Amino acid sequence: MSRHVLQAVGLVRRYGGLTAVDHVDLVAPPGMITGLIGPNGAGKSTLFSLLTGVEQPDEGKVLLGSTDITRMRPDIRSRRGLVQTFQVPSLFPTLTVADNLLVGAENRRRDYAGGLLGLSAQGRGRVSHSVERALERLGLAPKGPVTQIVEEVLDSLGLSDVRDTIAGTLPTGALRLVEFARALCARPDVLLLDEPASGLDSEETAKLSQLLRRTAASGVGIVIVDHDVDLVFSVVDQVYAMVGGRVVASGDPETVRNDPTVRSVYLAQAPLAAAGQTGEAR
Amino acid sequence: MTSIDLALAGISLGAIAALSGIGLLVTYRTNGVLNLAQGGIATLVAYIFREMVVEWDLPIWLAAVIALAVVSPGIGLLLERLVFRPLARRRASAAESLVASLGVLVLSLGITAGIWGLGARSDAPSIFPNSSVRLFSDTRIGVDALAELIMVVVFAVVIGIIAARTAFGRQIRAVVDDRQLAELSGVPADKVAAAGWAAGTTMAGLTGILLAPRFQLTPYGLTLLVLETFAVVVAARLSSMPVAVLTALGIAILQSELKQFTLDGDAGQILTVLQSNLFIVALLVLLLAVPKLRELGSGDSGATASFSSRGAPPSGRVSGVRFRRDYLGKLGGGALLLAPLTFAPSDLRSAFMVPALALIFLSMVIVTGYSGQLSLGAAGFAGLGAMLSLKLTNGDLFGLPAIPGIASMFVGALFVAPIGLITGYPAIRRRGLTLALTTFAVGAVVSRFVFEQPTFATGLYLDPLTLFGWELSEKAFYVFELICLGIGLLVVRNLHHGRLGRALLALRDHSEGAAAVGVDVRNLKLLAFTVSSVVAGLGGTLLVHSSYSFSADDFAPLQSLLWFTAVVVFGADSAAGAIVAAAFIVTIDVLAPAGSSTLAIGILALALGWMPGGLASAVRGLLRLLAQYLADSFVDPNQRAPRPVPVRISAVGHLPATTGITGSTGIPGIGSTLGAARAGHYARWPLSGNQDGLPADAPRLTPFGSSLVAMVQQYAAAQTAGARQRHAASTDGVPRPAVTQPPGPAPTGAGVHPAEGGRA
Repeated sequence: MSRHVLQAVGLVRRYGGLTAVDHVDLVAPPGMITGLIGPNGAGKSTLFSLLTGVEQPDEGKVLLGSTDITRMRPDIRSRRGLVQTFQVPSLFPTLTVADNLLVGAENRRRDYAGGLLGLSAQGRGRVSHSVERALERLGLAPKGPVTQIVEEVLDSLGLSDVRDTIAGTLPTGALRLVEFARALCARPDVLLLDEPASGLDSEETAKLSQLLRRTAASGVGIVIVDHDVDLVFSVVDQVYAMVGGRVVASGDPETVRNDPTVRSVYLAQAPLAAAGQTGEAR
Repeated sequence: MTSIDLALAGISLGAIAALSGIGLLVTYRTNGVLNLAQGGIATLVAYIFREMVVEWDLPIWLAAVIALAVVSPGIGLLLERLVFRPLARRRASAAESLVASLGVLVLSLGITAGIWGLGARSDAPSIFPNSSVRLFSDTRIGVDALAELIMVVVFAVVIGIIAARTAFGRQIRAVVDDRQLAELSGVPADKVAAAGWAAGTTMAGLTGILLAPRFQLTPYGLTLLVLETFAVVVAARLSSMPVAVLTALGIAILQSELKQFTLDGDAGQILTVLQSNLFIVALLVLLLAVPKLRELGSGDSGATASFSSRGAPPSGRVSGVRFRRDYLGKLGGGALLLAPLTFAPSDLRSAFMVPALALIFLSMVIVTGYSGQLSLGAAGFAGLGAMLSLKLTNGDLFGLPAIPGIASMFVGALFVAPIGLITGYPAIRRRGLTLALTTFAVGAVVSRFVFEQPTFATGLYLDPLTLFGWELSEKAFYVFELICLGIGLLVVRNLHHGRLGRALLALRDHSEGAAAVGVDVRNLKLLAFTVSSVVAGLGGTLLVHSSYSFSADDFAPLQSLLWFTAVVVFGADSAAGAIVAAAFIVTIDVLAPAGSSTLAIGILALALGWMPGGLASAVRGLLRLLAQYLADSFVDPNQRAPRPVPVRISAVGHLPATTGITGSTGIPGIGSTLGAARAGHYARWPLSGNQDGLPADAPRLTPFGSSLVAMVQQYAAAQTAGARQRHAASTDGVPRPAVTQPPGPAPTGAGVHPAEGGRA
């Protein structure tokens, strides 16, 4: 399956007199991790919400593959393959981990009315739900594609132990992981991650970057916005640096780090210096 | 009358509405609570004032001073101390505050109706003399209007000055911004909040006393009038006092001006209704038109989860025991519902209401409990269902042929679907309080423009129901009701299971999160509203048939508030709770004087502060506590393992909290689960590391425990092979964690573990 590329073309978003995002172009190709950095108020978050569809741009377009998704609601974008996670993990706290993932996995179908009439929930013919449950109880129900994806993701992220835990009772690190798993279950072309490392300790962050690499290697495009410049520079393939609503530098991490504007903005700021060292050591 | 005369006539009502609006704003600006109870408090004070003047013969001025300087602020201080301070302390969500204020509303209605009855009184005294002052030439203005106008200006100016110019005003803003932070900086937050409440309820009392003589004094009527003034604060976007005052005067004057026009035909009829109902229309229009009433609904996604404790039924296999217990519960419930069939005819007739109300309550479970939308318009849907089906039976609905009774009930209910769909549209972008007010306004407009209009509400004949030519006996009708209830339960069940159920719960728990993974938020909300309206419509039809008449009062907008409160009290996401709530209300209404059920629901609603999740989960939690107590009485306190401390976190904050299980398990704000329910999750799915805290050696027994264990062992020794096997298993000497795993699954289970531990 060929994955789509996410593209922003000349995006502009103004709040009153302030131009939060000023003619920004961005390309997030499949299989690559794209980082978005910038000091507070640089417009990262606004750009992010323009990409997810939470906000609408005043000018410009957002393209997924060849489709213009600028005016689409977040849930439609998600069904088309542009899936986001949140700064604050946004699980469904009363559902189990497995059910959380199922909600993500089931997103491609919208015929809820069938469920209302008690018809099969997973499209294996029109078997009534009760018949299906009876089969399940006898151990005869074949695993549908949806359940399969959930089990695969649970396995690959090491979440099988907590599959039946109510999500609201998990610690933050696990919540992030489950949210990421839920996003993966939605079979994304492009993943938009809003500060995925916030609230994680250094060990968990290291695990996260491995996970991101692995996910990207499977062909998914990833866009990541994070204050943790360490993480961003250690994991990304390309970086966009924003200042004052504009992209001031973009390209591979090395180029961006050596860009004079970026240097002047971040000058004497510890995180980038540290990132620089780790980057050079690599 | 000329336009000027009409305008002057409207001023009085406008000034009263402005006073009410000022009161609402004061409470909201100081406490962040939109006080829905304003109407109930106003009515209560108006009744007390009338009692003092008419029954006790106190002079009017003294009665007014007592009512406004003692009773009204006293109510406010009590409310702040007993109800809203605890809520603010635990940073309760706006939805919880809404339910609390609904509880106060229902309680005050219950008190008023309980003491003075539901009948109308027209002898409410007026504080102002019934005279007028000449303005110019022969244009005169009433003394009351003039005095009220002066009061409005004085209050608005004084409050404005306090808010903008004084240190107290700064403190108020600090408290509203962040109560905890303000307290840390030395602001006496409780005093500020109490002052706000006292001022708000005093304005409410004033509103009630001024309104009462202008209209008939009835508990429901006056309360609704005050609720209609919410239009004013919506227009002010809950902040600007001048806008509120001007809107109040504007609407009242416009309503008065309408009286000089007369139109023919249908338009004329609408105009006539508008002439006395402009406020409620304005409320609906403003709610739909004012863009982004952010203040009302900010960040309150999934707020209703705070009174819906349970998640989806597990998608995996259900254990045998649970499966059996499930079915036992259902059989028991079914038996209880069938019991009325053995009643005497008159009692059976009383029981008719139960399935009907239960269906209406189920409709609220669908929309509020499962999909998390606050909807206060159920009575409107129920009434429409009833009216449409009756009109179908009589054959005067849009020229459709007459349909026999039973079929028309279902068709009528289905006809409500498009109306539910339309009502659902505002819900797509609105949430929390805004949605609650919008649905309430829809219900009120439907009530005023449809149920109370002779064109629609006359000629609704109730013929006995027939099935294949046989007239339904009373017992048969009850059975038919149960079948309808069964259909409703089936719909609810399907909405709670499988993909659809998961998607709805996801929407309830976190609507942005649901949208982020592709859940079709818009269509799901519409689906929930539509299905809910059909179920309510069917319930309404049954309600009419069980009371043998269509009465607009049965479907008055305030009924929605009462019903909603009842549903929340009995567990908003519990189908069983809906049925129990219906049985509860009907039983009390049959056995006790009018208003008692309202009173009871009000008290329960306020108690909800201590048992979020409704009665259903309180009962669950109580059983667990009992089991735990039993378990504890067997084990020496010093030997107990640390126990998971139930943590309650508000829906707003994503605050990390700690539990006792692993010492410090960070739990981000989950907005919903409450102590009891969560303790249950722990019991069923212990997290890894749960056993770390267990003592290495076996627990010591208390004397009571030892003697009981001895008895059990004696008994066990004399028993059959099965018992001996269990006995043998328990002699392996390994302490079982289950001994001290605190929330024992059931009291019976708790008795077994000590026996095992005792052998060690």
